[in-house]
Amino acid sequence: MKGTIKDLLKVSGVHGYAIVREKNVQIKLPSKHKFSGAKNNIKMLYDSLVSARNRPGNVVEIFLEDMVLTIFISGLTMMMVMSSTRVNLALLRMTGKLVLANIAKETR
Amino acid sequence: MNQDISGGLENTRCPEIIKILSLGKRSGRLLLNNGSETGNIFFRDGQIIHAQCGQLQGTKAVYELTVWSSGDYRFFVDETPDVISVDISMEDILAESANRIRQMDRITTLIPSSSVIYSLDPDIREKEINLKSIQWKVLANINGKRSIAAIAQNIGLGVSDAMKVFYTLLKLGLLRDAEFSVETEITPLGIELPETAFIDALKEDLTRAIGPVAPFIIVETAQELNVDLLSEDVGQRSALIETLSSKIPDEGMSLKFLDTMTEWLHGEE
Repeated sequence: MKGTIKDLLKVSGVHGYAIVREKNVQIKLPSKHKFSGAKNNIKMLYDSLVSARNRPGNVVEIFLEDMVLTIFISGLTMMMVMSSTRVNLALLRMTGKLVLANIAKETR
Repeated sequence: MNQDISGGLENTRCPEIIKILSLGKRSGRLLLNNGSETGNIFFRDGQIIHAQCGQLQGTKAVYELTVWSSGDYRFFVDETPDVISVDISMEDILAESANRIRQMDRITTLIPSSSVIYSLDPDIREKEINLKSIQWKVLANINGKRSIAAIAQNIGLGVSDAMKVFYTLLKLGLLRDAEFSVETEITPLGIELPETAFIDALKEDLTRAIGPVAPFIIVETAQELNVDLLSEDVGQRSALIETLSSKIPDEGMSLKFLDTMTEWLHGEE
């Protein structure tokens, strides 16, 4: 597997993603999605997660009523994946880890 | 064949013979025989230029031959090799040989010969151990029937190197003398997994990442997660793969395992 964003979007139930690196925020979501305009909130989340010294791991899952936010962190890069609550979370985490590892490799 | 030096290795060890031939700037072939194996070291003007012992060639063969402590030797003047496989100084060869002889003397206090047969200690699954890949290779070949020499040949290792690995494994408490083995003992390496395409792929990739203990880890993880190994449910399979990947200590290997198995799952979806 190439471990690209395409692979991530193929996971059944994934709505889209946001990638943040330092000051750059890139969001790829359907226009009517409730997080499509949440650039500032995502950036705030990035700032607090990336600067956290005692973060216990590099994958954070936030369960909302109607969706799950899965956040992957590697160095100064954060990827947030928005998905339905019925997504195969293990598959999403596996694919997400691979995608972020590839992104981190490219930006190194 | 012009033969001019011969004797027993019990009285004159190989490094001493090498020193004599080196000082005399001799050219020819030194044939060594320890009763079960033979080896050759070729000299040109006192320098070692080629050596062969079983499957080993070059410096590895030289070091293997220098630790032999029984058998006999003969020197055949002016015989030349077809290839040149050794290109290091005599000082380095003698220093490393002396080092290996010291090691071998220590090893033989625990392992009397390369014909000894060991089996896995039945308590092996209760211990947390870290092994190098060569130690895994040796461990995977131990079945209570093969001798150290046979295992060395199986994996293309010099007998003295294999004895060194056995010494470490014995010191770690992983082995015991085969004659004390209980016939009904079950080793973690003997675990039988169901034969499905998914399990085969899982086993193959995990073995590549963590060695022959992989089947045991798969069964243990499936029990921890309450996953049925025969289930075709993608959720259960994903959970199993993800947890297994977190048990691979090397990050690169872990990602590689995830990569292959995720592709497998995507193919199934």
